Amino acid sequence: MAGSNDIALMAHLLRRAGFNASRDEVEAAAARGYDTVVEELLNPAPESGVADDLMLRYHPTYNHPGAIEINIQNWVYRMVNTEYQLKEKMALFWHMIFCAGHSKIDSGEEMGRMIQMFRDQGMGNFRELLMELSTSPAMVYYLDNCESHKTAINENYGRELLELFSMGVGMNDAFNYSEDDVKATARAFTGWNIAPPYPPFPYGRSPWEFRFDPADHDDSEKTFLGQSGNWNGDDILDMIADQQATARFISRHLYNYFVADEVPVPSWRQTPPKDEDTLVALEQAYFDSGYNITAMLRVLFNSDGFKNARYAKVKNPAEMVAGTLRMVGDHREEIKPGMFELSQEPKYMGMDLMNPPTVEGWHTGHEWIDSGTLVERINFAADYLGRTDLPGVRSMISRLMSQGDSLSPEQFVDSCADLVGCLNLTADTREQLVSHAGRGGALTHGSDAERAEFTRRSGEMFQIIASTSEFQFE
Amino acid sequence: MSTHLFGLVDVAFNYSHSVGRNEFNGTGFRNPVDMAIDDEGKVYVLNRSYENRPDGVHATIATLDEQFVGEFSKFGEAPGDMYWPTSCALDSAGNLYVADEWLNRITIYDGDGEYLRHWGESGDGPGQFNAPSGIAIVGDTMWLVDSKNHRVQNYGLDGSFKSQFGEFGSGNGQLNLPWGICLDKNGLIYVADWRNDRIQQFNQAGEWQATFGMSGSGPGQFKRPNAVCVDDDGDIYVCDRENDRVQILAPDGRFRAQLKGDHQISGWGKSKLNSNPDMIRQRTMAITHDGGAYEKAFANPCSVRVTENGQIAVLDHTRGRIQVYVKEKEPVLL
Repeated sequence: MAGSNDIALMAHLLRRAGFNASRDEVEAAAARGYDTVVEELLNPAPESGVADDLMLRYHPTYNHPGAIEINIQNWVYRMVNTEYQLKEKMALFWHMIFCAGHSKIDSGEEMGRMIQMFRDQGMGNFRELLMELSTSPAMVYYLDNCESHKTAINENYGRELLELFSMGVGMNDAFNYSEDDVKATARAFTGWNIAPPYPPFPYGRSPWEFRFDPADHDDSEKTFLGQSGNWNGDDILDMIADQQATARFISRHLYNYFVADEVPVPSWRQTPPKDEDTLVALEQAYFDSGYNITAMLRVLFNSDGFKNARYAKVKNPAEMVAGTLRMVGDHREEIKPGMFELSQEPKYMGMDLMNPPTVEGWHTGHEWIDSGTLVERINFAADYLGRTDLPGVRSMISRLMSQGDSLSPEQFVDSCADLVGCLNLTADTREQLVSHAGRGGALTHGSDAERAEFTRRSGEMFQIIASTSEFQFE
Repeated sequence: MSTHLFGLVDVAFNYSHSVGRNEFNGTGFRNPVDMAIDDEGKVYVLNRSYENRPDGVHATIATLDEQFVGEFSKFGEAPGDMYWPTSCALDSAGNLYVADEWLNRITIYDGDGEYLRHWGESGDGPGQFNAPSGIAIVGDTMWLVDSKNHRVQNYGLDGSFKSQFGEFGSGNGQLNLPWGICLDKNGLIYVADWRNDRIQQFNQAGEWQATFGMSGSGPGQFKRPNAVCVDDDGDIYVCDRENDRVQILAPDGRFRAQLKGDHQISGWGKSKLNSNPDMIRQRTMAITHDGGAYEKAFANPCSVRVTENGQIAVLDHTRGRIQVYVKEKEPVLL
């Protein structure tokens, strides 16, 4: 049987490598063991992971949805329900790095297809992922590669590929690439374009298709990172994937996303990483595995740096929304109305999914929180954690009652904090919560009336915990 | 009419024309889920739309020669509203019955769309239902697919419960989230056994008679078939929804033909494009690229009906249109 330390560690893993879990799921996973669960997460089956047929039946716009709202709704549904949680977490990871947004693309279906590409390829070979990205019609359009021609290049994709998608600018005065490398990259990707799609009316857009136009490709000699040849885009990707800078850049992103909040990417040039040892281990895994992301994740999840980094990250809005729903058990069984409103919640908290603010993406960590978004975060979580009719909340209350006929205020608070994710309350917060619990009288559940009151006070305590600063972290 | 060497009567199913376009209101359909067609070719289309566009939820009345007649109802839970409309059928008086699988009720409108009444009670007991998904009316009887209870129920048109058959499972006569239903001229009942990927045939006592199809994408195989109808010759038309096609089976269940979609732009579609030259240009370029394949094809067809004059109407869900075919009983030079 799993002990409390095992359960706390498992809760940590499922928050980071997935979108949280119900208490029942945490305990079941802890019983299987940490190593086993890590391998389960790292080895998702190729299947969808959600009941696509049921979604198509009850939300019949599920396939080929043109509206961006439906694509976001489908994604949040998948975050909450997919059996393959890490796969979905990685889809969000790459969306936060390989940023493209609906505000320019203006096709919800193409945004959905890009996320599906991250879902399909996001745990595989990084070089292949870059190839998928470079041939993604949405990205070709978003970063203007369709406007980059043999006779007149547009540097946008070439620049961001190097600066934001793979190598990064560099450290201090050591630059990873030059302006000439940007131009060479842009020239190598000329001719990488999109076939003409159908317009939205009268029958809906067709899926966009990548199309290489050899007549528009600059086939002349280029020099990239000191190597000269008649490089095409795939040659450039080969060279990028083999750079130490690329290994470091991806490793630091993984650390920032899974372990602990780093400074925003533009500050990486001046700010050393928080944990050099972990980054070195990730870089080693990158090269040893032939650029395999799953191999890097295996090293990461088994590192002490990861295991000890509990509540070292501010939840991003998608994690807050999907994580709360997974914990309380809403929208996890019957497919029902209401997903659209829920899927808008991350936007209200500052994360407009499928529409990042710039190609640089969202600034994470404490920048998720301001006076407006904090209210949204607290209201959302408190609303759901206070709903004692929901299966996840009911289960938590049942566990509270099973601890004894009467709970002291201290027992009650500690247990509630434990049940919402093994939360570490500060002494000051705990003292205030215990004081509040003590004012309500005895916490018993012998009679129907006592059970009703116990239930009400449990929901109230979960809500208060959701409003603490501690709950903003994961 | 002649006999094919494989023993099937030689017929052809030829595309005639299309009706509609994607539109939230007026001359178009938005994620239509079912339709009913009266003897004069007037068609009632249920538009399901989606959550953030509740303005698209209503019924459209048009004709199969693409005349817009009107629209009625709206999204909501009040009497006469629709929430998750899923199926409709006409009675002999021309009243339209609409099943709503979220509200668990049958709402009745007159032929002009005026709300008359509703009935229905949620549950799993006799006379109750959970997610009514398909309805068929013959005389004074309604056959209703009680989907989440995995059964078929028989009601009077006033909602009086008569009988039921079916249970959850994958054996003969068992059902798994069934959806569409129809009756042939002999009174046999055909049910789209959706999650079992097959069509099942019952007699009016609810006794299993035959099963057609299995999971797959080959001839005679289905991927989540959701609607079925039978013409006077006994040919069975099935919306093979996730295979993006309509399959036509002979009365004994043998594969006869499949329709994959042959759309040519409709009158309403032309009128939309005529007001937008840029989209004409985009569409022309796209057709130059793919030869028109994308626009022709069905995308999750979800309802098929055979009209009094023998037209086969297919409701093409994702594209917001009806593709109309005719069954040719004499050889036609294609």
